[in-house]
Amino acid sequence: MKLRNTLTALSLGLAAAGAFAQVVGVSWSNFQEERWKTDEAAIKTQLAKTGASYISADAGGSPEKQLADIDSLIAKGAKALIILAMDKDAILPAVNKAKQQKIPVVAYDRLIEAPGVFYITFDNMEVGRMQARAVLAAQPKGNYVMIKGSPTDPNANFLRAGQQEVIDAAVKKGDIKIVGEEYTEGWKPEVAQKNMEQILTKTGGKVNAVVASNDGTAGGVVAALNAKGLKGIPVSGQDGDHAALNRVALGSQTVSVWKDARDLGRDAAAAAVTLAQGKKVNGSTTWSGGEKKVALQAQFLKPVPVSAKNLDLVVKAGWISKDDLCKGVDAAKGPAACK
Amino acid sequence: MNPVLNSLKQAAIDWRLVMMGTVLAAIAIVFNILSGGLFLSPENLYNIAQQTAVVGVVATVVVLVIVARHIDLSVGSVMGFVGVLIATLMYTAGWHWVSACLAGAAVAIAVSLYQGALTAMLGVPSFVVTLGGLMSFRGAAFLVADGKTQPVNDAFFQRLGGGFDGAIGVGASWLLAGLVVLALAAQSWAKRRAKASYEVPNNPLWLDAALVLVPVAIVLAFVAAMNAYQIPSKDAPQGVPIPVLIWAAVALVLSFIVHRTRFGRYVFAMGGNPEAAALVGIPVRRVTLMLFALMGVLITVAAMVSIARLNAGTNSLGSSMELYVIAAAVIGGTALAGGSGSILGSVLGALIMQSIDSGMLLLDVSIGVRYVIIGQVLIAAVVFDVMYRRLTGDTV
Repeated sequence: MKLRNTLTALSLGLAAAGAFAQVVGVSWSNFQEERWKTDEAAIKTQLAKTGASYISADAGGSPEKQLADIDSLIAKGAKALIILAMDKDAILPAVNKAKQQKIPVVAYDRLIEAPGVFYITFDNMEVGRMQARAVLAAQPKGNYVMIKGSPTDPNANFLRAGQQEVIDAAVKKGDIKIVGEEYTEGWKPEVAQKNMEQILTKTGGKVNAVVASNDGTAGGVVAALNAKGLKGIPVSGQDGDHAALNRVALGSQTVSVWKDARDLGRDAAAAAVTLAQGKKVNGSTTWSGGEKKVALQAQFLKPVPVSAKNLDLVVKAGWISKDDLCKGVDAAKGPAACK
Repeated sequence: MNPVLNSLKQAAIDWRLVMMGTVLAAIAIVFNILSGGLFLSPENLYNIAQQTAVVGVVATVVVLVIVARHIDLSVGSVMGFVGVLIATLMYTAGWHWVSACLAGAAVAIAVSLYQGALTAMLGVPSFVVTLGGLMSFRGAAFLVADGKTQPVNDAFFQRLGGGFDGAIGVGASWLLAGLVVLALAAQSWAKRRAKASYEVPNNPLWLDAALVLVPVAIVLAFVAAMNAYQIPSKDAPQGVPIPVLIWAAVALVLSFIVHRTRFGRYVFAMGGNPEAAALVGIPVRRVTLMLFALMGVLITVAAMVSIARLNAGTNSLGSSMELYVIAAAVIGGTALAGGSGSILGSVLGALIMQSIDSGMLLLDVSIGVRYVIIGQVLIAAVVFDVMYRRLTGDTV
């Protein structure tokens, strides 16, 4: 009898401790990519602040391994899961298993369409809107080229939809004419360059602005424009690549929409802890914009458009050094951040 | 038999090349009609010549690798690795482009020798070695600069990739064309004289004249097209782009190596029958190693052109290029079983692939349809190759 009391007290005590020190399991799809290191650091920092502990597994790009990873994270006592899914459909069995055990799942940056999942990402539609807005401000009329992302990446279409929202009115009015539109296989700069060259040939070089969906493709576009001696044409991008920020400082790119991975990691960790406590996440909305139209709780972070005017922002955030940003920039004529 | 047909039959003409040239011409004409005259405009020809150069340079040497019964799947990854390395040395470390490229070449040769040694010395199949290389060196390309894009800003170096100042101008282009014409004529004349001196019957004069005049016409037409392309903001036409010159030089040198050096003949002998080659005393291992080293040199050349063209070294540089390179070699008539293949064929093969791709881009064909068609063209080329060999009784 005494023993049973002790055990009950012990388990109650453990449960109480669990409420304070949550274990959050993070399943990475493929940790080799540089950017996830930034995310991981941010997640760890935030978890440490709330007294939760961090366990993780890396699927090394294999959807099958990721299923096993999640099993073992649950077995190790994870009370909440943050999942960067390698394959948005193959991951579903693991998500269902977590759901049966009442473990909340945060879909990190990549959508997992299953009821009960909490989706956190940057607002890709908004990224697209910001790209188009910056280009539109620089060139309100004329011939536009849309360089889209990889045809296999759902984000490419979200971006394109956001871009269309902004320029739609001007297109209907006839101020803007879309003279070329291409997907970029694998987001590869050299593919974007080749596509841009063919569009320039097709239109006889009559292009006034280019809405490119990320900084890599923007690099290809700028190379194609330079080769034809076309200077000062507005070009958009995203990611805050160092090379692209340098182009913004040099004036050959108009904007790079910057998604601070540290914000995403911080908010995802906070959301995971909140969900594990059974509470609702502040700032979340109900969203059903995925392919299957499943209604999910979601949180969309706002990116920042970085242009010549606010370049000092990325330097102050410690994202890039001033030397890298201003390489080759004439201090007298360059933007304020390089003076 | 009709004397004309008879002499055509006796002349050493590579009919497969002639047919491929015809196919290329047909593709060009069809696209030109569909695009309302855009495809054969000087600007588009200039684009295609430049867009093909990188794949073309690597394809020339991959032909030899396949002829020797090997394969190299790592070309794209190694090119990405070396390209990022050169760009990083120039941009982040501040090296001069010459020393950066020499360092890049040293690394590329070391990488190729490592893969070549595993193949030649230990007998590990090159498919496996270079499949491993395909992954490792893509990873290495990432590690060199932590995945960051490295801009290439050296104005002189950028010219290697074509672009705004990347062509040699009208005068130099015509001069070069003149030299090529003279060389072709001189070569044919020397051949006739040599045959006569050994009392070997010559081709009829009209046939030899045609064999000189057709390539001459192609060269002159190409140079005329390049000289007709003018960037609107410049006051003189472009002329032949530098990457195309580099490609032509590489193809010429490799053709010479194949036909006139011991090394080149050994490669073909090894590919035709490896056991016999070893038995007659061909140093198979050394030749294989040399072949891989040559690969390293040309990958460096391709990497230079490619980062100069993009004005940047990116970690995705050259990804899936191995497929285009091997496809160019195969469309160009290189037998995957080894033993036969031609450098000029790979040039035509690369041009055919890029023409179809660029032509469909001009016509706004969607990306899915483009892939379907390019894949089927590859199959059609191999089907043609198989039929041709069956008809002509070519055994390899």
